[in-house]
Amino acid sequence: MKKIVGQVTPEEKNEIQQLFERRNGLNELAKILSADNTELYEKLVKDMGETGTKFQNWWDRMAQKYQWESAENGNWEINFETNEIYLVS
Amino acid sequence: MIRTIKENQDSWQSGMAKNITFIVTKDCQLACKYCYLVGKNVKERMPWEVAKTFIDYVLDHENDPDFAYESVVWDFIGGEPFLEIELIDKICDYIKTELYRRNHHWFNSYRFSFSTNGINYHEKAVQDFIKKNRDHLSIGITIDGTEKKHDLNRVWKQPVADDNGLTKPSERGSYKDVVKNIPLWLEQFPGGGTKVTISSADIPYITESVLHLYRLGIHEVNINVVFEDVWQEGDDLKFEDQLIQLADEIIDGGYYQDYACSFFSEHIGKPMDPERDNQNWCGAGKMLSVDAAGNLYPCTRFAQYSLRDKDAWIIGNIRNGIDKNKLRPFLTLDRTTQSPQKCIECEVASGCAWCQGENYDAAQTHTVFERATAICLMHKARVRANNYYWNKLYRKLELEDLREQYEANKREVKPEIC
Amino acid sequence: MLQYLVILLDDTSVAYCHADNPLKGRNLIPLETLKKGILFGMKQNLMIQYVFPNYELPKEYAEVIESIDNVKIYPVGCKPVTGIEDGNDADVEAANEVPEKEEAKNLVLRLTFTEMLKQKDAIAKLFASGARVNLCITDVEQFSDEQMEAYKQVLKEWNATLLDLYKQGQSPQFNLLTDRMMLEKMHNCEAGVSNITLAPNGKFYLCPAFYYDEQTKVDNQLNHHQPTSDNSVGDLEKGLDIPNLQLLKLDHAPLCRNCDAYQCRRCIWLNRKLTWDLNTPSRQQCVMAHIERNASRDLLNDIHKVGEFMPEIDIKEISYLDPFEVRKEF
Repeated sequence: MKKIVGQVTPEEKNEIQQLFERRNGLNELAKILSADNTELYEKLVKDMGETGTKFQNWWDRMAQKYQWESAENGNWEINFETNEIYLVS
Repeated sequence: MIRTIKENQDSWQSGMAKNITFIVTKDCQLACKYCYLVGKNVKERMPWEVAKTFIDYVLDHENDPDFAYESVVWDFIGGEPFLEIELIDKICDYIKTELYRRNHHWFNSYRFSFSTNGINYHEKAVQDFIKKNRDHLSIGITIDGTEKKHDLNRVWKQPVADDNGLTKPSERGSYKDVVKNIPLWLEQFPGGGTKVTISSADIPYITESVLHLYRLGIHEVNINVVFEDVWQEGDDLKFEDQLIQLADEIIDGGYYQDYACSFFSEHIGKPMDPERDNQNWCGAGKMLSVDAAGNLYPCTRFAQYSLRDKDAWIIGNIRNGIDKNKLRPFLTLDRTTQSPQKCIECEVASGCAWCQGENYDAAQTHTVFERATAICLMHKARVRANNYYWNKLYRKLELEDLREQYEANKREVKPEIC
Repeated sequence: MLQYLVILLDDTSVAYCHADNPLKGRNLIPLETLKKGILFGMKQNLMIQYVFPNYELPKEYAEVIESIDNVKIYPVGCKPVTGIEDGNDADVEAANEVPEKEEAKNLVLRLTFTEMLKQKDAIAKLFASGARVNLCITDVEQFSDEQMEAYKQVLKEWNATLLDLYKQGQSPQFNLLTDRMMLEKMHNCEAGVSNITLAPNGKFYLCPAFYYDEQTKVDNQLNHHQPTSDNSVGDLEKGLDIPNLQLLKLDHAPLCRNCDAYQCRRCIWLNRKLTWDLNTPSRQQCVMAHIERNASRDLLNDIHKVGEFMPEIDIKEISYLDPFEVRKEF
């Protein structure tokens, strides 16, 4: 089941969308970058950690701010087109 | 609550992305009869050095107004792009690494996009590539409908090219070779849409073909008539009949709820204001294409293999960059300047598309400012059927008290602006 | 509306605009063709402009040439043809270097940008001669953004000379700086629209440059459907046939129709050469025209300070040199 539980501002959407894209980019880059490329590899590892943290912080911050409805075993989704937050359970 | 988080991203950066196209090969397994690529050949395959130099050129110009887009779509086109999967894989790896190494803003916003005939989709090299780049891929497989309709045009090429390397059509259809890969594709890209092209001989098969594609599990069918002057007297009326049949099938069969066909849109068939609605339809000039020789084009349609009567419109090359003067006509194009009076005054103008490359190829002079109007009657026929579709659909929904619900959830196919 | 018929009397007729004439071999227009050309002009109600080569034409041409009211364009210091009366005030002399002594009423001075800078003082002296001076840069395509300041500077220096002449009560005419002050709308070359060119081969061309290109086999981009490199737009037998004529007109030039560099040549030959579309100007043409426009504004403002010359005319301040950069605001 999927229902709308809120909406974020366009600026907030942009922030998470960029983090989402970056996280995906880093994950796919990790598949092709070997540890031999020391400089980039170290940068990537650090970046993945930082991006993951920022990503999680965004959801924590937004959940706190908007107090969205939650559910046991449920998760939230964002629609990048409408900025709406769904509860999927 | 489990904090696994998932993002829906049906629509990606439409209008905010720079489209950059690699013409990786001018070869294809097929020799489709309606294909606008009149100069397909087995000779022009992009060397890695050309691709690399081009990527470096583009990334070196991050701050140039021509590249000042939030996002980028790297398009791979042929011929059949997946014939060059090894090169493409190398290109994509290089792009990713370079974007990251340079801290380029596109690292946070890029896609790799493919339009394929689907024939070697299942092969290991292609599948490995897909797995590796899954989150950044957009892949469309072209299947034209029923076997009969598909094989009418989409035929294999003859095994041997002529002395100039040009390829010729054979009699062997490609439907079976494509349809076997559709389930795998839809599993990997559940929202994947297909592009269907209609030429004069295809008209009788439109309805059955769209329904066939729906039944294959393709929910989004982007369909358009060819822009070239191939139409025969009476084609518009046959076309209208087919679309009305299709409208009935979609509505009576309830397909409108989960499936979309770009022929039917609420936004087409209205008059257009000469000042307010004066933007160009086509994105030529905002896009950038490169071929095997390292020549740059405002769009693939301006490369020589796409042109029947005109010389290629080359705007630069990978060594000297873009000659910006050559882009000025494209970036100043508007609807009314290139349109004949009948189009400006047309009561059903909206949604009537054009292809800048075809306009150029068909023009009396060397210009992109002369709009070809070969599809005029076909557009008008489409508008009549479209009006029928919406009138019938809304009446049904009202009678069933479902209109509000439909409006809230309706699935729309955005017009494909190339 | 067509108003002028330019007749090239010979392949080596003098160049009088941006394009050089690369043709070296004499090829005089046949007398019969000339007569038919004149007849065409008379029937279409066109003013005839003859373009002369730098050699004396046979005497039998004089009578035919003078059979109609005309304007002559000829190499500086070269009398057009024996037997022809002194020309009228509209006659034009064309030169590729600054003449030492200027006696013409109308002088077209064709120079490269570098030559223009070198000869700026000699050019300034021409302003007092009473002649209308038309300076035509012959290598516009080479003009780069790095040369903008040099162009602004030389125009500024000429402005000072012109201002002095205005103060003395003279009315110098110099196309790059004084034309814009007098204009309230676009006044461009209008090749193919207000004028058309008849070449010695009996065919019509948008302007002489298109004939030169054809004769020197420069890649034809005008009539691609024709098998040969043919730039012509009709001939004396079939009449004029200009495909996509609307694209030569101001209202079909998206950048130009909103522009107020009214003195710009808006050269369609340069457009085709540099942007490949007849209706789209190059950055070079736009930037040069706007530097001239802005210098004209400065001159006008200076003149307003010292006299009553055209007090009602105002050229507004603008922030761009290339309208392409502000096209979205149009």
